[in-house]
Amino acid sequence: MAGKIIADTLEHSTAGSLSTEYVVNGSAKAWFHFNMLAATIQDSLNASSITDSATGTFLMNLSSALSSSEYATLSASGDNATHNASADTNEPRSSSQYSHNHWENNASYDIANASNSALGDLA
Amino acid sequence: MSEIKVDNLTGKTTANDITVTVGASATMSLEQGLAKAWGHFTMSSTTPRDSFNISSLTDDKTGIFTADYVSNMSSVNYSPSTGGTHRDAVSESGWVLAVQHAGSGADDMTTGELSLSAHNGTSALVDTVQATFQIFGDLA
Repeated sequence: MAGKIIADTLEHSTAGSLSTEYVVNGSAKAWFHFNMLAATIQDSLNASSITDSATGTFLMNLSSALSSSEYATLSASGDNATHNASADTNEPRSSSQYSHNHWENNASYDIANASNSALGDLA
Repeated sequence: MSEIKVDNLTGKTTANDITVTVGASATMSLEQGLAKAWGHFTMSSTTPRDSFNISSLTDDKTGIFTADYVSNMSSVNYSPSTGGTHRDAVSESGWVLAVQHAGSGADDMTTGELSLSAHNGTSALVDTVQATFQIFGDLA
């Protein structure tokens, strides 16, 4: 059986100390790198599946739900050879699902490399 | 209040597998949830304002910078995110900081580096004064 430590603070000998609150609340609870064209997950944390909702819009489905639908999401705008100006947005749909939308030239667009992450509290 | 003074945390059963309780009873992987690199920089300087696990910044050309990691990622399938606010002295809206991927003509995203491009509202590459990013995934 693995050991278990209950602690409020971690202290490094030279790098300073950190409240374990930052470990619990500051860690990403989910992240995805996925391909919109193939509808495949390249790598992930806490992912159960992705759903192709529409051109440029995918739903991220989580294995373990967040405690509410008011968590924070981040994403990276993907660039490619044809379309340069782009924007990616995320919207929490529920405690276990959020959307990822990719836009280029004011239109929805599927790209090969999309990524995002979610921070908040697990249920 | 309890406190642990330690320089390294290593999993007992598997070195890179430590479970943390993050909900009422929910647990998750500690190492999977930690950001492996982050940076805050301006495209007028190759010195980061602040960063973690970044060895250097390269000014590839106007609007494109590449950040090299101190410790590389295990694959190219990690998850980067970029900050949403990018501005110059004139405009505070309509700017996008994008991740360069294969075929974009820059150094692209590899296990050892990440190229970022800043575009204004008319798709032109521009040097932004504020660029932020972070990455999640597994270190090599």
